Amino acid sequence: HSVGAGLCAAGMIAIVPGYISRSVAGSYDNEGIAIFCMLFTYYLWIKSVKTGNIYWSALCAVAYFYMVSSWGGYVFLINMIPLHVLVLMICGRFSHRVYVAYCTVYTLGTLLSMQISFVGFQPVQTSEHMLALGVFGLCQIYAFVEYLRANMTPEYFNILFKSLVIIISSIIAVGLGVLTLSGKVAPWTGRFYSLLDPSYAKNNIPIIASVSEHQPTSWSSFYFDLQILTFLFPAGLYYCFSKLTDHNIFIILYGVFAVYFAGVMVRLMLVLAPVMCILSGIAVSSSLSTYMKYLDGSGSQTKAASKQGKGRQDTNSTQQREGTAYLFVVLMTFFLVTYTTHCIWVTSEAYSSPSIVLSARSHDGGRIIFDDFREAYWWLRENTPEDAKVMSWWDYGYQITAMANRTVIVDNNTWNNTHISRVGQAMASTEDKAYEIMRELDVDYVLVIFGGLTGYSSDDINKFLWMVRIGGSTPEGEHIKEKDYYTPSGEFRVDGEGSSTLLNCLMYKMCYYRFGQVYTETGKPPGYDRVRNVVIGNKDFELDVLEEAYTSEHWIVRIYKVKDLPNRGTR
Amino acid sequence: DRSVDLSSQLVRINYKMSLSNTGSSGAVKTFLFGLEPSTNDKVAFIGAAVGSSDKTYLRVSETKVQAHMDKTFYKIELKDAISAGGSATVNVEVVLGGAQEMYPAVITQKEKQFSRFIGNLYAYLPYSVTSQTTTVTLPSSNLESYTKTKPVSVQDTTIKYGPFSNIAPFTAAEMSIHVENNNPMLVVTNLLRVIEVSMWGNINIEETVDVKHNGAQLKGSFSRYEFQRENSGVSSIKSFKTLLPAAARDVYYRDDIGNISTSHMKVMDDAVELDLRPRFPLFGGWKTHYVIGYNVPSYEYLFYKGDNHVLNMRLVDHLFDDMLIENAEVRVILPEGVTDVVLDTPFPVKRMPNGKHFTYLDTTGRTVVMFQSVGDLTENHIQDFQIQFTFPHRTMLLEPLILVLAFFLLFLLSIVYVRLDFSITVDEGAQAKMKVAGYCEKVASLQDRRSALYQAVEDAMVKLKASKDLSVFQAALKKVASDHKNETTAISELQVTIKNVNQDLGEKVNELQRCDKIYRDYQAQQAVLVEKLVTGKLQKAAYLDQEATLLKKKTEIADKINSLIRAF
Repeated sequence: HSVGAGLCAAGMIAIVPGYISRSVAGSYDNEGIAIFCMLFTYYLWIKSVKTGNIYWSALCAVAYFYMVSSWGGYVFLINMIPLHVLVLMICGRFSHRVYVAYCTVYTLGTLLSMQISFVGFQPVQTSEHMLALGVFGLCQIYAFVEYLRANMTPEYFNILFKSLVIIISSIIAVGLGVLTLSGKVAPWTGRFYSLLDPSYAKNNIPIIASVSEHQPTSWSSFYFDLQILTFLFPAGLYYCFSKLTDHNIFIILYGVFAVYFAGVMVRLMLVLAPVMCILSGIAVSSSLSTYMKYLDGSGSQTKAASKQGKGRQDTNSTQQREGTAYLFVVLMTFFLVTYTTHCIWVTSEAYSSPSIVLSARSHDGGRIIFDDFREAYWWLRENTPEDAKVMSWWDYGYQITAMANRTVIVDNNTWNNTHISRVGQAMASTEDKAYEIMRELDVDYVLVIFGGLTGYSSDDINKFLWMVRIGGSTPEGEHIKEKDYYTPSGEFRVDGEGSSTLLNCLMYKMCYYRFGQVYTETGKPPGYDRVRNVVIGNKDFELDVLEEAYTSEHWIVRIYKVKDLPNRGTR
Repeated sequence: DRSVDLSSQLVRINYKMSLSNTGSSGAVKTFLFGLEPSTNDKVAFIGAAVGSSDKTYLRVSETKVQAHMDKTFYKIELKDAISAGGSATVNVEVVLGGAQEMYPAVITQKEKQFSRFIGNLYAYLPYSVTSQTTTVTLPSSNLESYTKTKPVSVQDTTIKYGPFSNIAPFTAAEMSIHVENNNPMLVVTNLLRVIEVSMWGNINIEETVDVKHNGAQLKGSFSRYEFQRENSGVSSIKSFKTLLPAAARDVYYRDDIGNISTSHMKVMDDAVELDLRPRFPLFGGWKTHYVIGYNVPSYEYLFYKGDNHVLNMRLVDHLFDDMLIENAEVRVILPEGVTDVVLDTPFPVKRMPNGKHFTYLDTTGRTVVMFQSVGDLTENHIQDFQIQFTFPHRTMLLEPLILVLAFFLLFLLSIVYVRLDFSITVDEGAQAKMKVAGYCEKVASLQDRRSALYQAVEDAMVKLKASKDLSVFQAALKKVASDHKNETTAISELQVTIKNVNQDLGEKVNELQRCDKIYRDYQAQQAVLVEKLVTGKLQKAAYLDQEATLLKKKTEIADKINSLIRAF
């Protein structure tokens, strides 16, 4: 667009919290690299569309390869570029430059991406890649048609064109139908249904819906992560529309789709953040340069006006304009400064503290550190047999594997969700039933996260409904009904009025074992849960098949050992 | 007199012996000291000293004696030989590790820990003992059972046996003491001590420690509730203190998953005290693993004369009170390029072949001296070892030189690179642009010189007004005129060349010349005015008036020139 816009966008992207959340040390993920790859690929794509140069297109394909190797989100990219081409075609802006660029990028990029074992033959088989393939075909047809048109009389051409369209479209429809039916082209996977239809996952695959990152984004989190960019974004769109070029169309497309996807899934905020920055950068720099013109020239203009002694009205209007310009510039500066402070604040508050070490303020203002996770994981590592198998909810799988160096039953790889469902069933069942499942899964230790003593709210009781849902989503777990865990009035309560199924399930018992004797807050009876702010319903119970192996200092992590089967005859 | 101290996990036995040479002739230089076979393999340390306040340590070595091949003896060399009929007093200290047996070996969280020590009621010496007593110090007064061989008396936390008189050599009788002992039974199962010596004034010490609670094993469940509210688990270890050298800096305490956030450091006069809390309280049978590291300045430990150096450091350092180290390995990483390494240890160790260690900028690798302990180590083994080595000081310069060379090469390469033209086709436009830019620069500098000349004229005019010396002024003007002519012709020549390359720029230079000419005219007029004023041909008021109009014109044209120059 312009150097100013680029500079603004660069400054914004440097501190935008939506992106920092993934690139800050500690939460650093391959997504952090992937966003760079993505933007780089887009840059090269625009460059190649502008020049129609095979050199740039080839570079773009290489950048795409880099992107594919770093993140599964490359699918967004491989749909974005064909979409751009398609829109250009519809707008009648299709040219040889676009043709050259797209054909090079698609063929080279696809070939390269197929080298990644994770991708394999997906680009020609799954429906996520179909758009790219289809547009590629369309490109050829379109170019061919253009060629014919140039060499034929209009009448002949029309006949040929109509017949060609009918034949080709029917061939494609039949072919696709056959391929889908025969299973060669994989049907749309769940993740992508949930992108297109936000309610799809919730209704069909609880495991996808249970991840907080896959929840629809709330308005507040848009503002939290992007601040003024949310408002500058439409302005940037306006500036793009006012000067419609090939690359502006691309930015518009990217922006609109990113907003949509970010609205569906919190995680995709990451994809939205860069384009928000770009569009806002355009908005800021365009509007500023519009107004700065008055300020810049105003000094000499007014002088000239007064010297030449021209009409007073003229002077007045320039002064007025100057005033508005001043006001606008000051306002914009103010917004940018607040943006900076907001970003710094968000980064330091929300994204800079390690999520594994919690801290809180005590009454006297001192800092209390809850290092319970590491404490418990280290205990597991040092004081359990090396081949011990740990069962926990899948969120902690990678942590346990990495820090405690023990085998876990399920981890953050949610590929195999029947296994996760089995664990959910164990957690949701009574002790006897759970024991059978645990024997079946050959579990030695069970680990739960419990926040009732400290008020750590993302604990297993709050996640429990997801365990019930996921547990009940497979055939083995059909006896687990979500409504059994609610009170008759449809509430999820752990106090005396909670449903008896809930108060007797394994998860409840493991979390609240011996908690009924603990005084957590002054003026409250023992067993007062500080997360749910209730006194727990079932206080005095003993565990039959488990024994408490370790509980961390603030009770956040509780580890239980599964007892061996009792010897025959001793019962 | 013999005293047995059971108050920690170790058993410290102190023999205070009065020796007398009952032979008729010949002085005795050495004597033999024996321990009963059951305790022999548990000996962690044995040492002998003479004197009570300032002790003189005696040389102790293990030997075998022909007559008793099944027994192990320690030969103690006396400082002063005992002559016939003479006598001497010697203190022998024996430290036994793992001699206390947990009984019962498994307890629940609520139960207390009991230990049982089985020893010899008498000193197991190859000599007959005229009179002996044994005092046992207990860890607590809760005594479960003890051997009741009379005469015996129990008082609070001590048991006193004896005196027994005239005991024959190698007399053994079981002394069993079973008592409550909640003292930390913390054992270091593995210690790796790495000392990295830098010749730049720093020594880094890092100790990787595996500790285990060797007390009675925890049976059944661990209840955090009982641990927090009912203060149960008295035998568990919540924290311990480590003493580091007083000069220790940059202390860290961590393990494989990061910093352990529960520790405190106190700097004292003679040491740095660390209060270390493991991530979790250690119950019987539980173990943990941590790393502690710090820096000390090398001048306290490294001494040299010329190129010969001696490193004098503790072989092991204090980890906690009454510590017992089962296996220790010490690695000393010496600087790169050392030769003639000689190791000298205060007690026998198992030397291993030297290794190599590579860090940044190392080429041949650093020599690593490695040795392992033989048997258990206790606080009595906190002694110094020495390593002598030769290190030429100039090799210290090697690494900085490598860096300098690398950067030099990098810069040299980039210098060469930017000066080389790798393009296949010659870029005419860019070259022309560069040429023109060069010309423009020249024009600008010439113009600068011209304006300096104008300034000289102005100065001369001011001077003239003051001194009224016309001849000097004329001379100055003449000089300026000739110089100015030179510059102007130079610019005109340049203008022709520029015009050949770039029409627009040529025009601009032309314009510049025109403006300059006008300026020059104005200045000439001004000079005439001044001359007239000085010679009295013009009234002051008229002069001022005319000068003002001239000056205004001058500034206008000067502005124009300046903007032209800037536009280049």
